[in-house]
Amino acid sequence: MIDYRVRFRTNLVIAACGLAAFAVVPFVANSGLLFLAGLVAINIVFGLSWNFLFSGVGLLSFGHAMFFAGGAYGMALITRHVPEMPFLLALVLGAACGGLIALVFGVVALRRASGVYFAVLTLAFSELIHILITKTTFLGRNDGLTGIPRPVIELGFGTLNLTSATAYYYFIIIAMTLVAVMMWCFQNAPAGRLLQAIRQDQMRTAFLGTPIQGWQLTAFVISGTVAAFCGAVMVPFTQIASPEIAYWTVSTQPILFTLLGGAGQFWGPAVGAILFGAIDYGTRTMHGLSEITVGVLLLAVVLIIPGGLLGLLKRRRAAASKSARSETAGERTSETEAGK
Amino acid sequence: MTRIMEARAMHKSYGQVKVLEDVSFDLEEGEAHVVIGPNGAGKTTLFRCLSGETRINSGSIMLNGQDVTGLAGWQRVQRGIGRSFQVARIFQDMSAFENLIVAIETRERSEKGLWASFGHIAPRRAVMDEAERLVHELGLEGTLDDPAGTLSHGDKKRLELAMSLALRPKVLMLDEPTAGMSPSDRSEAVRLISDVRARYGLTLLLTEHDMEVVFGLATRLTVLHHGAIIASGEPHKVRADARVREVYLGQH
Ligand SMILES: Nc1ncnc2c1ncn2[C@@H]1O[C@H](COP(=O)(O)OP(=O)(O)O)[C@@H](O)[C@H]1O
Ligand SMILES: [Mg+2]
Repeated sequence: MIDYRVRFRTNLVIAACGLAAFAVVPFVANSGLLFLAGLVAINIVFGLSWNFLFSGVGLLSFGHAMFFAGGAYGMALITRHVPEMPFLLALVLGAACGGLIALVFGVVALRRASGVYFAVLTLAFSELIHILITKTTFLGRNDGLTGIPRPVIELGFGTLNLTSATAYYYFIIIAMTLVAVMMWCFQNAPAGRLLQAIRQDQMRTAFLGTPIQGWQLTAFVISGTVAAFCGAVMVPFTQIASPEIAYWTVSTQPILFTLLGGAGQFWGPAVGAILFGAIDYGTRTMHGLSEITVGVLLLAVVLIIPGGLLGLLKRRRAAASKSARSETAGERTSETEAGK
Repeated sequence: MTRIMEARAMHKSYGQVKVLEDVSFDLEEGEAHVVIGPNGAGKTTLFRCLSGETRINSGSIMLNGQDVTGLAGWQRVQRGIGRSFQVARIFQDMSAFENLIVAIETRERSEKGLWASFGHIAPRRAVMDEAERLVHELGLEGTLDDPAGTLSHGDKKRLELAMSLALRPKVLMLDEPTAGMSPSDRSEAVRLISDVRARYGLTLLLTEHDMEVVFGLATRLTVLHHGAIIASGEPHKVRADARVREVYLGQH
């Protein structure tokens, strides 16, 4: 029988270990690496938001850049035009921008298309948003919106100064950990179970008495909101919202993370994002090598270990526990529960 | 007797192919109504139309005195229909136990509203207990933790039946519940279905191929042939009907 408590604790520990590992970075790395680590942390949740849709409810998105950019531009606009707005509220509104885009798009597209057709629509709509950004003066056209300041948060009993890159980095990793844990909880709670049921068999779920489209739309909006939150959090870090983040290549990133790390596991995109960041860093001096490496690696993963790295790990463990079945029975449960 | 379902003058075609022509169909509360007919007669299509999987081209369907003709499948389920599929549909990658949990939680969501879904992660104790009860009732004990996709054919059917029961339906619709089973599994399944029907006070609507199953379960028999009903009534009378013998029973 599934031990839900063990499963929850295991994943909380995984999240805490991840947070701890990221928290060490400022002590051991230079500012360039710190910057990269911050982006990787954001990418992890960006990847999780995509896989929430793909593995969580069975919707394929080729246009996640539109949400990411929606959040980033929303945040940049608020910071510029309403500088007195509290930072956290601005973040929430930025995330809501992505949710709104997802809602508008989802209402139209989910009724008409599914599968690959739906995916192509997301791609088209995302490109539309990219073009819109590059043509709108209000959004800075090709230059983007620059000079976004990092915040000083008023806490009532004092202030939290996040203007330095390091301070803001800590804000990022804590925020991302919280969102990741929230997503895990949602996916493993009744609503998440239902979404998973929809992915596995829509017809069966409908004939349990569930309005499929309503739930798909809900999942789409949640995914868009989380992706936009990532974009919104990134903007004060990089201090710019540029049109590149709305480009289709950004939409491919969470897909790459997920395929590398393993779509079938909750933390798959996280592993993929970290690996992707490491490759980026390792090949930073040689232009184009990073794309080649990622391409080759992706090919290798898809062809040789279709379940991604975590999928491989899980299979290994399953095999090991099968051979050890006669010896220890107790430990096995906690192992197989990990990463579910 | 109260009439639980009442379909009038249903027409259904797929493109040019007319599958159901002027079919009227009643389901009385408490009966076990079996629909038979040669392959391609339109039994599954009738099921689809009644359950809301597909819309009829014309005609009307009443459920508990309410017009449900324009309602989608999930809405009819919320009004008391539970159904299985000719090829069992279950959540393949979930364990059998989780399949049941999802079904029970869905019923609670329909009964108590959306908020029943929030505020906790693991299924509530009552849900787990109910799932365990269903497991024992339907004899699924040995297969709980395996991914449902790896279950035997018969266990899949049983699991699907258990999921439908978890919805506490008034009407249970089973499309060829014993298809593909060995003779011994088949009589086992018949026993299970009549057990369940008695225990839950269900109204049953099923299609079936196997005559032993038909006469083991049916309190009313309807024969469908080329998309039209040619006989309907008490099983032994239908069996004696000359036209029925000619088109269907005679072949066996
Ligand atoms: N989705 C569909 N599209 C076109 N024709 C269909 C479809 N479903 C069923 N049919 C046709 O309708 C007829 C009745 O099929 P069905 O209801 O499955 O019969 P039964 O369940 O009695 O064997 C068959 O001739 C079949 O070819
Ligand atoms: Mg059929």
